[in-house]
Amino acid sequence: MTESHSKHILSIMVDNEPGVLARIVGLFSGRGYNIESLSVSEVDSDRFLSRVTVVTSGTKNIIDQIKAQVRKLIPVHNLIDITELKSFIGKELILMKLDIKQNTVLKIHKHIKNIGAKILFEDKTVIIIEFSGTPTEISSLIKKMKVYNIVELTRSGLVSMALGKDYIRR
Amino acid sequence: MMKKLSGARIVIEALIQENVKVIFGYPGGAVLPIYDELFKQNKIRHILVRHEQAAVHAAEGYARSTGKVGVVLVTSGPGATNTVTGLTDAMMDSVPVVCISGQVPTHMIGNDAFQEADIVGITRPCTKHNYLVKEISKLAESIHSAFHIAKNGRPGPVLVDIPKDIQTFETKYGGKKHTKSVSFYKPNTKPSLDTIVKFVNLLVKSKKPIFYVGGGVINSGSRASLYLKKLLKITGYPCTQTLMGLGATPTSDDQFIGMLGMHGTYEANLSMNKSDLMICIGARFDDRITGKVSGFSPKSKKVHLDIDASSFNKSVNVDLLIQGDLSKILEMTLKFIENKRISFSKEKISAWWNQINKWRAKNCLNYKNSRSIIKPQYALQRLDSLTKHLDPFITTEVGQHQMWAAQFLTFNKPKHWMTSGGLGTMGYGLPAAMGVQIAHPKDLVIDVAGEASILMNIQEMSTIKQYRLPVKIFILNNHYMGMVRQWQELLHGNRLSESYMDSLPDFVKLAESFGATGLRVSKPGEMDDLIKEMIKIKGPVICDVVVDPKENCFPMIPSGSTHDQMLLGPNDKLEGEISEEGMVLV
Repeated sequence: MTESHSKHILSIMVDNEPGVLARIVGLFSGRGYNIESLSVSEVDSDRFLSRVTVVTSGTKNIIDQIKAQVRKLIPVHNLIDITELKSFIGKELILMKLDIKQNTVLKIHKHIKNIGAKILFEDKTVIIIEFSGTPTEISSLIKKMKVYNIVELTRSGLVSMALGKDYIRR
Repeated sequence: MMKKLSGARIVIEALIQENVKVIFGYPGGAVLPIYDELFKQNKIRHILVRHEQAAVHAAEGYARSTGKVGVVLVTSGPGATNTVTGLTDAMMDSVPVVCISGQVPTHMIGNDAFQEADIVGITRPCTKHNYLVKEISKLAESIHSAFHIAKNGRPGPVLVDIPKDIQTFETKYGGKKHTKSVSFYKPNTKPSLDTIVKFVNLLVKSKKPIFYVGGGVINSGSRASLYLKKLLKITGYPCTQTLMGLGATPTSDDQFIGMLGMHGTYEANLSMNKSDLMICIGARFDDRITGKVSGFSPKSKKVHLDIDASSFNKSVNVDLLIQGDLSKILEMTLKFIENKRISFSKEKISAWWNQINKWRAKNCLNYKNSRSIIKPQYALQRLDSLTKHLDPFITTEVGQHQMWAAQFLTFNKPKHWMTSGGLGTMGYGLPAAMGVQIAHPKDLVIDVAGEASILMNIQEMSTIKQYRLPVKIFILNNHYMGMVRQWQELLHGNRLSESYMDSLPDFVKLAESFGATGLRVSKPGEMDDLIKEMIKIKGPVICDVVVDPKENCFPMIPSGSTHDQMLLGPNDKLEGEISEEGMVLV
């Protein structure tokens, strides 16, 4: 009897205090849960609140256990399982540095324009582009760009939000 | 105009405000300012232990026997790291403890300073919460919050790490009332009425019910025990208790069918296995209880009452869960039953009781007694008979003796049984007994020990001497780490790798060297006199009870087996080999 694993996006409001991220990450590693993506930043500087977005996966029991365990952490104010809500948006940001040579520069420019990415920096040797999209879109962008010489890239991890106003007030 | 106080003084004042009477600790460089303030006052008594691990266990014993928060004070570095086992123990067994540790001054943190350890980092997973106080303005708030968190919701240990410079800085302290709100932590304690209704409906319908009661009832307080006793009486249903739950309701009650789990009784485990309704109250379906999860009580509906939402559906899926404070849940349940004039027919469950009584008739705790050698079970039966009228407080170490104590002693009141259940910490019993004795100076406190476990915190004999604590240490000396040997016999071809206890001390002389009385006994006929003398002696006593070195603890559910696959005695053989799956379990 194998239960199906599903992916969940958890949005966690926490006190922005030292060690709070270690508490969350330590809970996941200590109990053997998986973190597929993680992003965190302060979102309310008046109340010192940070919002953590964790993408994790597991059976229903495991996901329920993760949520219950995270909610037990003292600095956690609220946890929302965004995946359980009807509709939501999930986006990620990527920065990518491409090696350019004289003969490819025009082709790259055209390609970037088609994709809808933004050029942040350009000189004779490299070009840095910015693109935001769903994780799938980003992965497919990386795949497409592999025809050029990718010097390095970095991804932000997923940030996510559900539609509507009610869920966040609960 | 409020006067400015030093951080160290604020620590003491805040502890006084929290109604702390006793702290268990050990001084050192990074807590000297706090020890200096301790010296200048007489509201808080400090008990100087001989090892910081023992300070935490003593605080646990104090907390578990009183329901109050146990308090520990230690220095930085090794002082703090020595508390880790104790804190983990308190975490696993939900014991409210506040541990205050000194830390190197803030500007030295991260420099690998002398006696520096990142104790907040180290104890993050083994405390309910912890604080590193980096600003004097946060000090009082952190201490009051620590107490609030330790005792509310599911209790647990909280550590407050205070750098030495913070202890010397000054600020104003207006008392707990004027300290920034500490009540942000508000666990849900009130159950919803509709779940209570569903619960009662299940109760009424069941023909084969079983109450499965854990330590949560004891943590919830004496009212929870009282309500549960009433509910048991109204329903007439059988009740089993976990190792942590013993004494939640009297174990001498006729409806009590023994402890359940790996070394639980035949009737308790089979009742769990065959029941149609399991009512789990303040327990957590721990692996010692369930055995093989896939075969755990296959036919029952399961109801789970607990304050901790993360205990629900963790290892076993339940049909109805009720979150809240157990005394509130039980009170609401009783009220509902009363208001609706619901009655429980004894006839409906008479077939079930008949079945249980048949299982009971197996007399699973029976053992072959001897005239020449003391059987450990016999020693404990005699201890029980000769002390139970005194309602003694019992602590234990970990191993066979612990299981026998759980099986053979009577617990008629909650908070009288202190044992390391979740973590299984050898060396727990002696310091825990000190904590209990400090809280109950006039009562009989007995540490039922093994000769191996007792050596793990034997240095505390010195503490016992210093504070003239009349703790009775009842060592069942079988010259083996008995439980280790039992598993080696059962699972590892009788290869007794490193489980023999060689070079033991002479426990009688050891007792005497610490100003205690040492008594030794090796003949069954001398058992009663030994116990009577032990009770009579006003001071601390070590009883070296030389028992049968070969005796094993039964019944036993071998790892990876289910409740109906119990070994009842040494002649019961395993059916086939233990599965590979079972072999890797502990």
